Amino acid sequence: MNEVDPSFAERRASDDRARLADALVRTGHGDRTSFEELYKRTSAKLFGICLRIFPERQEAEDALQDAFITIWNKAAAFDPARASPITWLCAVTRNRAIDRLRTGGKAGFAPIEDAAEIADPAPLADANLLQAGEMAALNGCIESLEGRDRNFIRAAFLHGATYAELAARDALPLGTVKSRVRRALIKLRECLDG
Amino acid sequence: MTTQLLSEDDIALAGEYVLGLIDADALGAVEARIAAEPAFAAEVAGWQERLQPMLEGAAEQPPAPLWPKIASRIGGDAVTKLDTGQDNTPSRLRFWQGIAFASMAASVLMAVVTFTRPAIESPAPSAPLIAALGSETGKAAMTASYDPASATLTLTPVAMETGELYPELWVIPEGGAALSLGIIARDRPQQVKVAPELQAAMAKGALLAVTPEPAGGAPGGKATGPVIASGKITTI
Repeated sequence: MNEVDPSFAERRASDDRARLADALVRTGHGDRTSFEELYKRTSAKLFGICLRIFPERQEAEDALQDAFITIWNKAAAFDPARASPITWLCAVTRNRAIDRLRTGGKAGFAPIEDAAEIADPAPLADANLLQAGEMAALNGCIESLEGRDRNFIRAAFLHGATYAELAARDALPLGTVKSRVRRALIKLRECLDG
Repeated sequence: MTTQLLSEDDIALAGEYVLGLIDADALGAVEARIAAEPAFAAEVAGWQERLQPMLEGAAEQPPAPLWPKIASRIGGDAVTKLDTGQDNTPSRLRFWQGIAFASMAASVLMAVVTFTRPAIESPAPSAPLIAALGSETGKAAMTASYDPASATLTLTPVAMETGELYPELWVIPEGGAALSLGIIARDRPQQVKVAPELQAAMAKGALLAVTPEPAGGAPGGKATGPVIASGKITTI
């Protein structure tokens, strides 16, 4: 493995972030060139998200198209002071994809085994090093949760499962599922930020 | 540690929101809090950041034809955005990729579709214009109406078969070459904002025509497909 100067990686990540934020803000002003640049820079990553939510390729492609239309329409709402551009883009893509799942009546039905493991990180370029650290931290903290709670969180976030669906699947009272998820979230936050 | 400003209840609520677990009837209240309470909004953003790694599979380049599809879709849906008054001519020029003035292919297209007589009067500056596009067999293919004041073209496809290709719309001014208005949807109504440099062409007497073209539009802005639908622009 190559040694990478961490300050170099950090500088690059922060340059990338600034450029991306700029392209997103300009997209919000209706600038198509910036929107195209945004697409070039992020479509591979966002397609990865769509493929994670829709294992069927055609559906993942449709979801990505929808996501970029939503990004175009909503970009004006992006506030660089409040969110990182890539987080905002990932959240819009995920939410749009889950909407599609739900509209298509496919939400929450993925077998729990499908959600079993977290992303296997792609080969790392130096700019991804910081991200890889975050991914490992989340992995570690999620693994520290009880198996059932872990699956609840994944089924909701990646498959659009509702509380009612989680409760039905595990034959648990709704209130029990809710309080388990809420407790798991507090634990997760303490693990990650604490 | 957790911040003093937010209770554990609120922290969990923000997490549930990001997981998509809030019931539809409670969603409005949570979103109102995000808008009104910076600390709560920051907690929501924090959860998006924390959970994001879970979303990430291996990045993968989407197939090439996806971008042109997206570009053509925002051509119709971005009407209000383009009215912000800023100058984005270069990007629009690029978007409508290749406005071809006088080209061989366009002349061929002209030969196929120019069978109408020249119009005599010129249109009032902002009278709405319409066109009914029919196929060779006379079957209705699409209707179009154009509002010169807002430079908005409203298209309602009726029946357009382009197989695996995409319908590209052209405006052909009288005695002029075909100018691309971009790829359009074949199966749903849409609005297209006509770029400033094309607005003059949208006049009574000009022809609208549709040709099937590869994804991304006719190469070099020159029509390659046969005209599958055409109609003359006229006033109501």
